[in-house]
Amino acid sequence: MDRSPLGFDQSFPGAADDFSALLRRKGLLSSAVIGPMTRDGTQPRTWQPTEATTILAFKFSGGVLVAGDRRATAGNTVVYDRADKVLEIDRHSIMAIAGVPATAWEMARVLEHSLQYFRRTQLQEMSVDGKVRALSKLLRDNFGFVMQGVGVVVPIFATYDGNSKPEARLYFYDAMGAQFEATDYAATGSGSPAVRGILYYENNWGVKPLHELGEEEAVSIALRALDTAAESDTATAGVDRAGKIYPVIKIVSREGITTLPESKIAAVFKEMVA
Amino acid sequence: MIEEPYRWVEAIANRREYIEGQLAPGSPIAALGYRDGILFLTLGQTRQKLFEIYDRIGMGAIGHPGDIERLRMAAIELASTEGFTRSAADVSLRRLVHYSLSPVMKSAFEQIYGPPYLARMLFAEVGARPENDLFLRVEYDGEIAGNGATYARARQDFAVLSGTRQSGELMEAFLKTEHTPHTSFEAAVHSALDAWSVGHMLLQTSDAKELPERAAIAEHRREQLARAAIEAAVLERDGTAAIRYRSLADKELRSLVTQ
Repeated sequence: MDRSPLGFDQSFPGAADDFSALLRRKGLLSSAVIGPMTRDGTQPRTWQPTEATTILAFKFSGGVLVAGDRRATAGNTVVYDRADKVLEIDRHSIMAIAGVPATAWEMARVLEHSLQYFRRTQLQEMSVDGKVRALSKLLRDNFGFVMQGVGVVVPIFATYDGNSKPEARLYFYDAMGAQFEATDYAATGSGSPAVRGILYYENNWGVKPLHELGEEEAVSIALRALDTAAESDTATAGVDRAGKIYPVIKIVSREGITTLPESKIAAVFKEMVA
Repeated sequence: MIEEPYRWVEAIANRREYIEGQLAPGSPIAALGYRDGILFLTLGQTRQKLFEIYDRIGMGAIGHPGDIERLRMAAIELASTEGFTRSAADVSLRRLVHYSLSPVMKSAFEQIYGPPYLARMLFAEVGARPENDLFLRVEYDGEIAGNGATYARARQDFAVLSGTRQSGELMEAFLKTEHTPHTSFEAAVHSALDAWSVGHMLLQTSDAKELPERAAIAEHRREQLARAAIEAAVLERDGTAAIRYRSLADKELRSLVTQ
């Protein structure tokens, strides 16, 4: 008999705090398998790193700023110019995504629900390390799809650790799920080499190091960096001057997440970038 | 022996009596809809009794902690998978209780070789306006009581849960006269505390048919506040945040109630 999502599981196993395991048990989450070998024994396709986008994050005086351009591409085609790649996971966490949108958004959704599920069932917040690890596990679970040449996702995770030593924390990942904590900045996606160059330069020889920047200065550097990435990377939109489409910029701080309104970004752009 | 229908009825009656006895000392819980949300309130000695189920759904329960835990987990699991596969807007308390919890509790209660759930639960789901708030009480045998209007009864913007039927009924009678749905948070806290006191007083006397005197309620409330902690939670009506449930610490309410 088919079990509907509303079916009541009487053989409840106790402390089932892992939401993705629960989804899998109910058959609601596809699990990736490593692609089948072709008849001559070779892998049919190899992994192409096509994270066609640019996202960046850095710590500044007001927390962590996370920015992402708005372009979604499929091969050479621009599919969508208002994509939102900077996603709120909970009150203090942001996941910014580079990679295949279908997989990335699904992953963000699973992560968001996992953290809520944990809080509700266990009656406590998950620790920052636990959250970072949860995303890492999702990436690992997805690696079968990555190996098949579909579904590669390379995210950045920014959060505010309210525990013993309150501070903003920033992590970046590789496609296999290895996590790295960034001290100052992180960038991923096809346009990231240019962005990384700019952030390195600003941090070392800029007017101030990144962590001392005020909000407006931080926003202007994020806009300049994305615009620079867009200059050489066709998959990154930067700032669309004609269409007046600006990147998404969010800030994580002790108070939570602030999404900068477009008018504010436009004002900084007009004054300091354009 | 229980193949005989009479024996079965007798076994069920025994079981009902046993469960009622077990639940009888449970400290009451009051849930009141007010202008800006729904307030859950109880005075607790030891265990946590109010829980978040989903974005707009909260739960209060009395009974055996193991059974409450199993039902709570099941409710969260169902709501979460529904919210994940469809959307948060599709998670509905009515469906959760009517289609999932109640049938399971009923069959656990009536299968007399298996253990029943020793729990009585009160769920609330906050709506866009007080008129849309839904309160559902689920008994150990799967029986559901809602707050909706019937030909014999007006709609209620509150619900209560208590150890005994009599205590619960008098709490309701008290709130019927004391509580209005568009009231402020402060007023709701006071009504909830008074209703709790009424319920708690009646757990100790088994033959009271009438509401206690005002002064007696106030006296009991003062005594109990001195020795127990306030446990409260709100489901906020304000639609800007997705997650409406927020638990309130004792100290947030203490200054409000001692004035």
